[in-house]
Amino acid sequence: MLFPTIDFAIFFAVVYTVQWLLVPYAGPWKAFMVLASYVFYAWSDWRFIFLLAASTTIAYIGGRLVHPATGRRRKATMWTTVVLLLGLLGWFKYYGFLAVNVDNVTHALDLGRPVPLLAVTLPVGISFFTFMAISYVVDIYRGVLRPARGIDVTVYLAFFPHLIAGPIVRGTELLPQIRTMRNRDDVHYVEAFWLIAAGLAKKVVLSSYLSTYVVDPVFANPHQHSALEVLFAIWGYAVQIYADFSGYTDIAIGLAMLMGFRFPVNFRRPYTAIDLQDFWRRWHITLSFWLRDYLYIPLGGNRGTEGRVSFNIMVTMLLGGLWHGASWTFVIWGAYHGVGQVIGRRRRAARIARGEPAEPVGRARVAWARFVTFQVVCLGWLFFRADTLGDAFAMLSRLVVGWGSSPLVTPLALLAIVAGIASQYLPDNWLDRALAFFADRRLVVQGGILGLVLLAITTLGPQGVAPFIYYRF
Amino acid sequence: MPPPSPTPPTPPGPPRSPGSGEGGAPYDWSDARSGSRRGGAATVTEHPAAPPPRGGHDDFGDHAFWERLPYRGTTWTRVLAIGLLCFGLWFLLDAPSLQRSAQVSPLGTRRTVSLDVVGPVAALSRTLGLSSVVGATDRVLGRTPGGGPSLAVPVHRSKPKPTPTPVVVNGTTTTTTLPPLNYHPTPAMPLKVLIVGDSVGLDLGQPLVNALAAYGDVSTYLDGRIDTGLSRPDYFNWPAELQVDLANQQPNLVVVMIGANDPQGLVTPTGSLSYGEPGWDAAYSARVAAFIAEANAAGAHVLWVGMPPMQNPGLNAELEHLNSLVQAQVAATKDNGASYLSSVPALGGAKGVYAAYLPDASGAVINVRTPDGIHLTPGGGARLAAAVTSAIQTQLHIALVPGVGGTGRRT
Repeated sequence: MLFPTIDFAIFFAVVYTVQWLLVPYAGPWKAFMVLASYVFYAWSDWRFIFLLAASTTIAYIGGRLVHPATGRRRKATMWTTVVLLLGLLGWFKYYGFLAVNVDNVTHALDLGRPVPLLAVTLPVGISFFTFMAISYVVDIYRGVLRPARGIDVTVYLAFFPHLIAGPIVRGTELLPQIRTMRNRDDVHYVEAFWLIAAGLAKKVVLSSYLSTYVVDPVFANPHQHSALEVLFAIWGYAVQIYADFSGYTDIAIGLAMLMGFRFPVNFRRPYTAIDLQDFWRRWHITLSFWLRDYLYIPLGGNRGTEGRVSFNIMVTMLLGGLWHGASWTFVIWGAYHGVGQVIGRRRRAARIARGEPAEPVGRARVAWARFVTFQVVCLGWLFFRADTLGDAFAMLSRLVVGWGSSPLVTPLALLAIVAGIASQYLPDNWLDRALAFFADRRLVVQGGILGLVLLAITTLGPQGVAPFIYYRF
Repeated sequence: MPPPSPTPPTPPGPPRSPGSGEGGAPYDWSDARSGSRRGGAATVTEHPAAPPPRGGHDDFGDHAFWERLPYRGTTWTRVLAIGLLCFGLWFLLDAPSLQRSAQVSPLGTRRTVSLDVVGPVAALSRTLGLSSVVGATDRVLGRTPGGGPSLAVPVHRSKPKPTPTPVVVNGTTTTTTLPPLNYHPTPAMPLKVLIVGDSVGLDLGQPLVNALAAYGDVSTYLDGRIDTGLSRPDYFNWPAELQVDLANQQPNLVVVMIGANDPQGLVTPTGSLSYGEPGWDAAYSARVAAFIAEANAAGAHVLWVGMPPMQNPGLNAELEHLNSLVQAQVAATKDNGASYLSSVPALGGAKGVYAAYLPDASGAVINVRTPDGIHLTPGGGARLAAAVTSAIQTQLHIALVPGVGGTGRRT
């Protein structure tokens, strides 16, 4: 079930009401939330609820076994659990990719075709709940989290707002909330409705428009489009993927907030970043932090020689790229950002060594740094979005040699791209004023305002919503 | 502008435990047993108010979101009332659009229930004149209110050349209503290909545009519409769309790949026919025949590409049946006006069954189908496009000459 659907609106109205009625009763509340979340997950393919249950069981038993163990046994138990969880992810997400590449190598070496090529269906959300399950077990191993009761772990991993596409919420963040009775008289509805409305507008209007009318036609036939169209498609994709993904997680955070839960922020104006390191502090923050805490730091983090740190960054970004999809284009994208991070880190160190400020100073320099960073990020998105490496390079060549008319470059396309970027530069107090105005209205007026906002979104959006990009991750 | 809400900002940290204010909770939310069943070997410092662990790498920035919640919370019932008001107003204003969406959805219980629920509200909305808000917006945006899928991908590739196709036969020039099938496209007499299809047809169409771009004196125009077919002209009217495309593009070859959405109830002028019901096959076949006749009447030959094997056995059986209906209609077309190309040789595995992986021209294995087991990957589309290109040459005997100047050229 996806958020911007009538099915979900009805589902949420029922779940919202029942869960608040059940709040005084912890056991029934948890049982109901598990049921609701599993129904939500089963909506697209009921068979995969067994996978979710299997991941939950592995994480729960692993946590229970890791907690009392000591020494090497503790470490071995933790690793066994993590490998089992990654095994499920690997089978469903990476088997096909691995098998094809192994097959092509063995075939080229005349070793036959020893690996069966199976079509494994990718369950939605598996990358997200697997990473959450891993963080749960590793946090217990590190001693920062107690093993939770089975029902709590089940709610934690299946809680429907984050189930399909995050944010990746840690056990340390969500489990205490699951174990705490929430206050039925303190629902932060102003922030929640804002997140949901803004998320819907980004997802249903901006992302769908750009994907349908600018991005998809150009990426489908790169050879057929002019330089200006290719440029608009690349910029358009940068706005589309931001609107699509941040919109979806904004809705998730808002829905959780309506039920009394607080999720971590996932996007913080990413296209205002002044360098790639800054970008990763602003883009898909819960994944960045997950990779930092469960991959980069265990690899050694910032400790060690400069070469070792560069190695750690590259491994982290390569695997981060592969997390997004089983394809070489994602690996290239990860490597690109890894190299960018390493270069950025060395340039920063060199500036400090020369006695200069680590970051650009002055409005002109900051503006230039933001402009350059956005273009660098866009170049990465080109490889991320292109179907093949050949298509990506074809688009780059069209940027230089693609003369001709540009029917896809319309004032509306330009407006959508500018709006997507400019929205990240709006001063905070504009939003504060708008929300304050809303907060001070009477109930009927508030409902009316939201109804008109919803009408505007559904009217301006296409009569169908473009596929959600991160759905397949 | 009223001043901001006077409520002070909520203090940082995850939500405070509100249990004390509720009084007499029938169930204990605390989890005293947790972690103590086996006796912990490690000291655990977790606390409900504990912040997320910090790794000591502060250059990644701050992680907390809930540090700033400046507006006063309210009761869950008040929020429910606001939400219901919001949906109620939206429902009333948008009911006519929702009613049209329900009308064009697949036949079945869900459609019936939706229409029963939305119908009275839509009538009320029209009576009160509220529906004009959405209607006016649709007009401003240049859309037909509720008129079919707007997530369509019409790809313009060439300007129309509104001239009948001249054919040189034994030294004399004549004009024919049917396309020439044994000729060499020339600048004066290009091969104009119109590609129409549903979402699977789009998977073929986009690589086919690229494949034909390698040949001189060939122009292409792709009109693909996701979620469409011949079963539900009330949702998207393909015959009407074809009419417009034929008039604008003047093609001499129409490549059709439609059908993946068609095993469903047909809406007919006299009612509806469920898939599998007696009469369904005849009604669907008549639509296929009419579609072909429409193209033929405009002077275009039809190359109908059948649906490939599907992963789902039920859908596969249904589409095999549809393929057989189309094949029969193609065979019955007069004056050699249509040809059929099975996509099984290009996309089927051993014994023609569904295959997700197939070798490409170099022998390397590629993934040809998307994870849904229905659509084609770009590699799969390219494979089928190569088969179509080959069929144009060998089956239709149209001599395609490699060279620039065809599809890719914008005229």
